[in-house]
Parts: sequence; structure tokens; C-alpha cells
Amino acid sequence: MPIRLLFRNLRAHPIRALLTAGSVAVAVFLVCILDATVRGFTAAVDLAAQNRLVVMSNVSLFVNLPLAYQQKISQVPGIAQTCKFQWFGGSFKQKKGGFFAQFAVDPENFQTTYPEVGIVDGSYEDFRRRRDGCVIGKDLAAQYGWKVGDTVPLVSALYPRGRDGEEAWTFNVCAVYEARVRSLDQMTMYFDHAYLMEALDLGAAQGQKGVGTYSIKLADGARAETVMAEVDALFAGGPQRVKTTTEAEFNRQFVSMMGNVPLLLRSIGGGVLFAIFFAVLNTMMMAGRERTRDVGIMKALGFSGGSIAALLVVEALLLALAGAGIGALLAKGVEGPVARVVSMWAPGFAIDDRVLLQGLSIAAVVGLVSGMLPGLRAARLLPVHALRQEA
Amino acid sequence: MASVPLSYNLRSLLVRRGATLLTVLSIAATVAVLAGVLCLQQGFATMQAEHGRDDLAVFLRPGANSEGESGMDLERAQILLKETPEVQKGTDGKPLAAAEMFLAVSLPKIDGGQTNVPIRGVQPATFAIHGDALKIIAGRNLTPGTDEIIVGTAIAERIQNCRIGDQLVLNVTPFQVVGIFEARGSYRCELWGDVDRMQHALQSPNFNRILAKLEPGRKAADLNERLKDDVRTPAKVQTEREYLIAQTGKLSGLLQFIGWFLAVVMGIAAVFTGTNAMLASIGARTREVGILLATGFRPFAVFRSFLFEAATLGLLGGLVGCVLVLPLDGMQTGTTNFDTFTDVAFAFRFTPRVLITAVVFALLLGLVGGALPALRAARLLPTQALRRT
Repeated sequence: MPIRLLFRNLRAHPIRALLTAGSVAVAVFLVCILDATVRGFTAAVDLAAQNRLVVMSNVSLFVNLPLAYQQKISQVPGIAQTCKFQWFGGSFKQKKGGFFAQFAVDPENFQTTYPEVGIVDGSYEDFRRRRDGCVIGKDLAAQYGWKVGDTVPLVSALYPRGRDGEEAWTFNVCAVYEARVRSLDQMTMYFDHAYLMEALDLGAAQGQKGVGTYSIKLADGARAETVMAEVDALFAGGPQRVKTTTEAEFNRQFVSMMGNVPLLLRSIGGGVLFAIFFAVLNTMMMAGRERTRDVGIMKALGFSGGSIAALLVVEALLLALAGAGIGALLAKGVEGPVARVVSMWAPGFAIDDRVLLQGLSIAAVVGLVSGMLPGLRAARLLPVHALRQEA
Repeated sequence: MASVPLSYNLRSLLVRRGATLLTVLSIAATVAVLAGVLCLQQGFATMQAEHGRDDLAVFLRPGANSEGESGMDLERAQILLKETPEVQKGTDGKPLAAAEMFLAVSLPKIDGGQTNVPIRGVQPATFAIHGDALKIIAGRNLTPGTDEIIVGTAIAERIQNCRIGDQLVLNVTPFQVVGIFEARGSYRCELWGDVDRMQHALQSPNFNRILAKLEPGRKAADLNERLKDDVRTPAKVQTEREYLIAQTGKLSGLLQFIGWFLAVVMGIAAVFTGTNAMLASIGARTREVGILLATGFRPFAVFRSFLFEAATLGLLGGLVGCVLVLPLDGMQTGTTNFDTFTDVAFAFRFTPRVLITAVVFALLLGLVGGALPALRAARLLPTQALRRT
């Protein structure tokens, strides 16, 4: 195959080559982002800890469990640790869209139950000592410019303070964490559950007392099924029944809440592929048509139909792969900011090797097929006809 | 200044129909993605806005944005129910006001997976307020004071165990499904039961909101002004329509973000494709351009002519894109409303707004894609253009 001719052909229409590669780049970029988002949805299920269980109300995630349940649950054999979890629903009013997740937890047990929360700044000891202390994610700290020692004011619609409900709760940043597993986001705030209960007891804030869910860390060698059944049996007679599930199962309900969104994103990904296929095909058909005379000359010189077709196929492949490379780089480049935006829905968002490889292989297939169509046509051309045609 | 006849461009598109088709399809795919997501957003937003009533008032706890976040105890609820003169009286002389409970309950969907279904504890006044808009279409209505529930039509189709005769257990209390009701907007996606029985079953003494019918001429905004700083019973009052529209912000915003993010990114690719196609098409017609210029058409007329051709490509792409998503119109779908965290069922709606947005966007794609090639054509010198083979 004449390599020099291949590159000359590519350079013959620099704008066209650039635009074609550009549209492939855009498509691969988009396919990578969509794929990583869909995978991110389920990361919390796929990467859930095997040794953790979650206890929630049998009726609804939005019904609080009594505080007294913790003591009873802890006595079930096979449980090493329990930790309260309560959604706070606060927002930072000083910044538009200042909404992120906050949970009230047990500072004593939180770190041992969730070892993947790695403290990178400040001290966890301070968090355990200070009633109004909190631990915040690295990305959250970066986005709002908060650091250890800062005071964070949050207004909660679930636990309003003041007569108009607009008075802020204040939290003191004691430590910053980073995630040691991919499924944990770095955009969450954890604070002391006792701080919340105290304010409700004193009447400083309104809202329902109780605990949203209890997390259980199993002791080594304990069987999850046995513990789940025993915890459920504790409260089977009411007044409030509970449902104990594995962490994976608990996380799955949030994925299932997304309904058809993953399917929607996948079909959009399909639409994008369709569009780039047409774009590359269009370019290669144009290239093929223009080169009818060249093909005639090459055939007259004795080049086989196969090598002429190969020329077009390799040209398309190179264009597609060059574009795909740029697209993959772009996707990798925006990984951090996008991960922060989608962290609430897709905490596992990551442009990893699998995502990149998939993007590149799709581009390669598109390149091959769209080179093949004009290539076959060129291979079948009769030199006399080809030479007679006006370019 | 003489214009190049439009038929010249239209015929050129027809002659090069293969390339025209590919360009139109790549614009169409972009437009279809935008239009499809917008249909979803419109279906959701218009359902909430159209079915909200202005003569009904919703009372929440100050600071709360939704029923789930709101809460009021029995004492406050009783005061508001009985001592709000702005509320209309029913035929029995009692105020048309109902204290309701609201909770998102996790239930299995018929097509797999779990979802949060809104369950509402209602009072007899609730039915009086809704009046004829609420119809029992199968079975019978619930009897106040008993463990009976009725289910909205959208629930009966989507959620397991929601047919007449089925049982739904809340903690340890079984509730019997006795009827299916049709109602306005998102009420179709709810389960209704007696509020006292539900509070008992859920061990919760609180109400989430009060729904009331206002006397003609009374405004929810005035009531809000009076009650928001009230010492005994502070409350946030909105019309039902305002309340429902306020529940669309997060999901609508998310859908619009997804739609426009994709449209802009894919639009870049479509502009590249359009530019490519126009460049090739004009390149093949260099001689024709030379003839046009030589016969006295001004460069600007040539520019305008090719821009028109590009706009036609865009318009065709827009129309094809719309035709592609048209079958979605009316298709039922469901997702979680992130303002209430509950499942909501609605249909894709291909509204005039979607059509206009999609077509304008497609035209824009065509024009941007055609600008550079048209400029190049207009700048050609007739002598050079004519010499080119």
C-alpha cells in the first residue's frame, strides 16, 4: 500500500480532515461522558461494602426510627458496630444552587463503620469533641472554598430554625475527607447527630426526632442473612417495623429511583453514534467520489482493487482514531469538574480505562465501516470509466 | 441587487441527494435528542401547571418547600382548619379545609425495581374540595375511619399490589384497596387513605399540609402575608398551582440541563458535518460559482445564496428530527420527581414550544455550518473559478 499517497490524500483537504476528526472527537467525548455517568449510577451497588447492612423503616425511607432502637440492634450477635444516619436537607443560601448532601451521624462509630472515609486535613479527634463539628468532602471544600476552622451556615427545610424557618444552623469544619473507594463521593458533610437532637429538645429548631437509618458493621465471620433476619424479628410486632438489607440492596433503591434515566442516556449515546457514523461516512464518500480519476490511474498502473480499497479504509480509520484520541483526552480533562456536578446521582463517575477503550473501539469500527463503503465502490470501478469521468 | 434564484440551490440539493441526505440526518439526530428530552420536560411541567387550581390554598410550615419537608401538629392544624375566615364553607356549614398527611412509601413496580409512591392521608373535606374533578372509576370510595385505601389510576398501572382487593401493610396495620380514582395531575399517582388511621399506623401525630378552598375574591398571597409571621400558627400559604409548579424545579432543571448540554455538544459535531458537506458541495461547483460571479451577481448575493442553501439543510434536518420524536408524543413514562422524592407518571408532550425550539436550533446549526463555505464561495475571483476544472 502506498503510504505516501495515503498521507497526501489526508492532507489534500486539511479543513475537511480537521472537521471530520473534530466531529468524531465530539462524539467520542460525549459517549465517554454518558457511559461513565451510567456506570456511575450503579457504582454504589457494585462497589458496596460486603460487611455492612442498613436498617430502615419497613414503610418508607422517610419515616424516622426511634432512637431507642440502636441499643436493641447493637445487642444482636454478629454486629460489631452501629451508626446513626439522618438526612439533614440543608442548603447554603449564600451561594446560588448551594445544595449538597448532609448526614447526621455518630462521631464515635462513624469512622470505624466507614473506614473508606479518609481524613486528609484537620483532625477527626476534634470532630468527636466538638458538638457542632463536621467533616466535609475534599471536593465540597474546594467548591465552596471552606477549610478547617471555618464556620458553615446552613438552612434546613426539614429542620427549620426561627419563626420563618430561614434562620441558619452553624457547623464548624473540623476535618476534610477524601474517598478511599470510588463509590463514595467527596461532596458530603457529616455532623454530630447529638447536635441535631439537642436543638430539637431545646426547641431551637422544629422537626421530627429520630434516626433515618442505622448502619451496621458486621463482626468478622458473621452471616449477613442471619443478622438481617434477627434485626427484623426484633421489631416485627411493631410499633415500627424495620427492613434490614445489605448495603448493595439499600443503594439499589436509589438507582431504581432513577427510573428510565439510564435507558434514556444509553439511547442518547446510540443517537450520537448514529450521527457520527453519518458524518464520517459523508466525508469518506466525498473523498471516494473526488478520487475517481486517481483510482482509474492507479488501476491502469496495476494496483489491485484490494489495495485501493485498503487506502480508503486506512484513511478513514486514521481520521476516526485521531478524532477519538482528542475526544478521549477531552473527556479525561473534564473528569474532575463533571464528577463534582453529577456526584449526587452518579457518585462513581470516572473516565477510567474501560470507558476510554470503549470510546476508541467504537470510533475504530465507525472508521472501518465508513471507509469500506466507498472503498468497495472504488475497488469495483473499471479504469476506463473512471478515467473518463470529470473530476 | 439581483438575487441568485432560490431554485438554483434547491436543485443543487436535489442533484447531490446522497450528500444532502447524510447531512440532513446528522442534523436530525442532534435535533431529535434535544426535542426528545424537551418533550419529557414539557410533559412533566405542563402536567403540574395545567392541573393546579388557583382557588385552592396549600398551607405548609414556614421554610418548607414541599409536603414531605413540612409538618404541623394537631393543635396548629385544628386552629388553622377552624379559624381561617378566608376559607369557604361547604353545604354542611363546615369549612372546606382538610389537614392531610403525606409520605413517600417504597413499593415494588410492576416492571421491576422499587419506587417511592406518595401516600396521602385525607379527610372527608378533601373530597368536598376536589368535587367533581375526582371520580371513582372502579370499586368504591373509602369509608372514613376505616383501614381502607383508594389508588390513583397511574398507580394501578405501575405499582404491584394496587388492585381492588389487594392489601398494603403499613408497619403492622393492613389496609385494604377498595377503589381506583381518576383525578387531576399528579394526584393520579397517589394512594389515599383515612388520615387518622394512617397516623395511627405510622405512629406519627403530625400533619404535612392543609388544603383549603378559598372564598371567591380571597387570595392565597394575602393569606400568606397575614399568616407568615403569625405568633400562634405561622404558615406558608400558596395557591395549589403555585405549589405544584414549585415542585417541578429540580427535575425540569435537570432535564433541561441534559437536553441542552447534549444539544450543544452534538451541535458542534453537526456544524462540522454541515461545513464539510457545504465545502465539498461548493468545491464541486466552483465553475458554477465562477459563472454566477461573471454574469454579474455580486459576491454578497452569492454568499446569501449559499447561506440559504445551508439554512435549507438545517431546516430539513430540524423537520426530520421532529418527525423522529413525534411518535413519542403521548407515550407514558415515569421517573422520580426530585422535589418530592416520589414517583411521578406523565406523558411525553410534543408542544409547539418544542417544535419552535427544535426548528430554530436546527436552522442555527445550518447557518453556522454554512457561513464559512458561503464566505469562501463569495470571495472567489471569477477568472480563477472559471479556470478550475
